[in-house]
Amino acid sequence: MALPVSPPPDPDQDAALASRGAGDGLAEGTTNVPASTSLIAEDLASPTPQHSGAVARPAAASRRRLTMRKAAPYLFISPFFILFLVFGLFPLLFSIYVSFFQWDAATGLGGMEWVGIDNYAFVLMQDDWFHKSLYNTAWMGIAGGLPQHLVALPLAFFLHTAFGRWRNTFVGIYFLPFITSTVAISLVFTSLFSREFGVVNAMLGALLHLENIDWWQPQYSKTMISFVVWWRYVGFNTVLYLSAIQTIPRDLFEAAIMDGASRWQQFRHITLPMLKPMIYFAVTLTIIGSLQLFEEPFVLTAASAGDGRMSGSGGIDQAGKSAAMHVFTTGFGENDFGTASAVAWILFMIIALMTMLNNRLLGRDTEGR
Amino acid sequence: MAGLSLRNVRKTYTDGTDVIHGIDLEVQDGEFLVFVGPSGCGKSTLLRMIAGLEDITGGDILIGGERINDVEPSRRGVAMVFQSYALYPHMTVAENMGFALKLAGESRDAIGAAVGRAAEILQISHLLDKRPKTLSGGQRQRVAIGRAIVRKPRVFLFDEPLSNLDAALRVQMRIELARLHGEIGNTMIYVTHDQVEAMTLGDRIALFNAGRIEQVGRPLDLYERPASRFVAGFLGSPRMNFLRCEPAPSASTGSLRLRLGDAGEISLNRPVGAAVPVALGVRPEHISLTRTGDGLRARVELLEHLGDSVIMYASLAGQRDPVAVRLSAHPDGLEPGATVGLLPQAEHVAIFDAAGRAMSSA
Ligand SMILES: Nc1ncnc2c1ncn2[C@@H]1O[C@H](COP(=O)(O)OP(=O)(O)OP(=O)(O)O)[C@@H](O)[C@H]1O
Ligand SMILES: [Mg+2]
Repeated sequence: MALPVSPPPDPDQDAALASRGAGDGLAEGTTNVPASTSLIAEDLASPTPQHSGAVARPAAASRRRLTMRKAAPYLFISPFFILFLVFGLFPLLFSIYVSFFQWDAATGLGGMEWVGIDNYAFVLMQDDWFHKSLYNTAWMGIAGGLPQHLVALPLAFFLHTAFGRWRNTFVGIYFLPFITSTVAISLVFTSLFSREFGVVNAMLGALLHLENIDWWQPQYSKTMISFVVWWRYVGFNTVLYLSAIQTIPRDLFEAAIMDGASRWQQFRHITLPMLKPMIYFAVTLTIIGSLQLFEEPFVLTAASAGDGRMSGSGGIDQAGKSAAMHVFTTGFGENDFGTASAVAWILFMIIALMTMLNNRLLGRDTEGR
Repeated sequence: MAGLSLRNVRKTYTDGTDVIHGIDLEVQDGEFLVFVGPSGCGKSTLLRMIAGLEDITGGDILIGGERINDVEPSRRGVAMVFQSYALYPHMTVAENMGFALKLAGESRDAIGAAVGRAAEILQISHLLDKRPKTLSGGQRQRVAIGRAIVRKPRVFLFDEPLSNLDAALRVQMRIELARLHGEIGNTMIYVTHDQVEAMTLGDRIALFNAGRIEQVGRPLDLYERPASRFVAGFLGSPRMNFLRCEPAPSASTGSLRLRLGDAGEISLNRPVGAAVPVALGVRPEHISLTRTGDGLRARVELLEHLGDSVIMYASLAGQRDPVAVRLSAHPDGLEPGATVGLLPQAEHVAIFDAAGRAMSSA
């Protein structure tokens, strides 16, 4: 942000210039300022009446004005940084700090009690609910995440090859769930999955002659949540893949056609390898998103509680409780912010680890294409 | 190997653009035919129709006597070399070249042998394990050609294959393509913008204009006996001079005498035809300088030194465009502003009627 600023102009010289300028009938701004100096400097040096009038004005005034000029840009961008510091960086650092304390927030800062790594040890060794929620998260991450890509990839290829003019309309429709409120989606699915009157059970009954399923039973709830998650994000991934497919040169497909590749072989041998960088990116997003899964199970499992509230705690036997929900219940349910912070940081480390693994698996050899 | 026949081939794109308006063409077995023509005249379209990448709206295309309109691209026995090379970036050179055989279910050994042979012909054996992105433009071009060779096609199709190369490499690849054609002897169809490529590579040239073939023939025939003003103007650099003319009033004897505005008259040793000539065409190398007073009166405008020759641009009274004249050396005292006499060589002069058709020469 270093602006080239020339030294403050000498007011006497300014005045002289101004009078000469007026005498010559020249427009304002024609001064001795070289063309290379900044706009700010030029502006300062221009013989405004204020300058030329107050010949004896001390140079300090203009120097003060100069520092204001310099400070202004920082002032303008400061709201973001202030908000980030207060609501972003501070809580982040504070949660690390808290994770080494036993702390009930209601007791105020004075009630913090140093416990070292006890919180971490407890979470890793003894917190059965955390282990269960982690298992649930992994289960739902795979069941809800993997099919997103298995469907989105061929779907994007299909949309690319089969639809000309209507492609964007279809993409828009697929994208809709992604921008819809999770609460609204979860509410709709709550009624779709309803045991007695739900459309899902009606369809399964008609097609497979199954009995009505109570989707909130522990053995089914993860499936239901995974389905909603899949449904919500498959369109987003399709859009990612479609945009990447559109950058593959058409020549490559034509060359493959000439080489005798069928649609499937074009997909297998051209599209898929060319999409590898995008697959890496999209899978990374899915991994991070799955491990942070919160809203869908939070709202969906509320229905089983039957108390009309919007906040679920994981359903019967907490079968639908995700790790992020565990952070929430530990912190805001049990007021144990130390443990909750430890869980959050452990979750963060798991995310980092999984992302690294994914990088090993898919990220190699994707640069420089 | 096989010849290729086009019978009244037409193409209308789905958006209604009429691009090819009925083309008849016979390509002999083993012939090297070059498509040239201005941009947008439909050369690529026709090539892609032969390849099977575009539908054929009307007419028939036959390869080796077999109608291939509805045959799949990969079963037509044609291979195409794209201008962009279209190499598969994620495959090695060997995998690129062997891809078609792999899809066809050939054994690894057979693929390896075929790729090896093609690589040898093109001298790229040492590149087989590399990825396309690590190759130079010329090497990529060779790989693209190699990929076509491996398939043992009956007809090779090239769409401006050298246009992404620099001038020196272009010359080198041009010579190699000629050598390759001599070596494998397949039928080849080659689209280009480049006159030199067209003149040097082709057994014959098909010159396109707005979706029609203007003239087909051996390069020198097209150059020396253009069928139309369009052909005459398209081939040659600097291009042929066209001068407005009319039959001279004194034309009473059997031979044709033309008047070129106020610049003078020239007599051609050929009979007066039924049609009225309106334009006279003469190439820059077929005009000689004479003393002022003889030949057509002209004023020198500009001299361009090309090293091996000098191009003189001179204006003639009553002619819109200056006349280009190729001189082997710079004559003493020739300066812009000087007045000179120009003498077109009668035996090389072409004359055109109002419709732009060449009138029978000699
Ligand atoms: N897919 C398409 N849909 C509609 N019109 C097309 C399509 N492809 C090409 N055209 C039109 O067909 C005409 C011929 O195009 P083509 O590519 O065959 O020209 P070309 O002779 O190869 O030109 P160039 O020398 O510039 O490559 C052009 O007017 C072009 O706009
Ligand atoms: Mg073209």
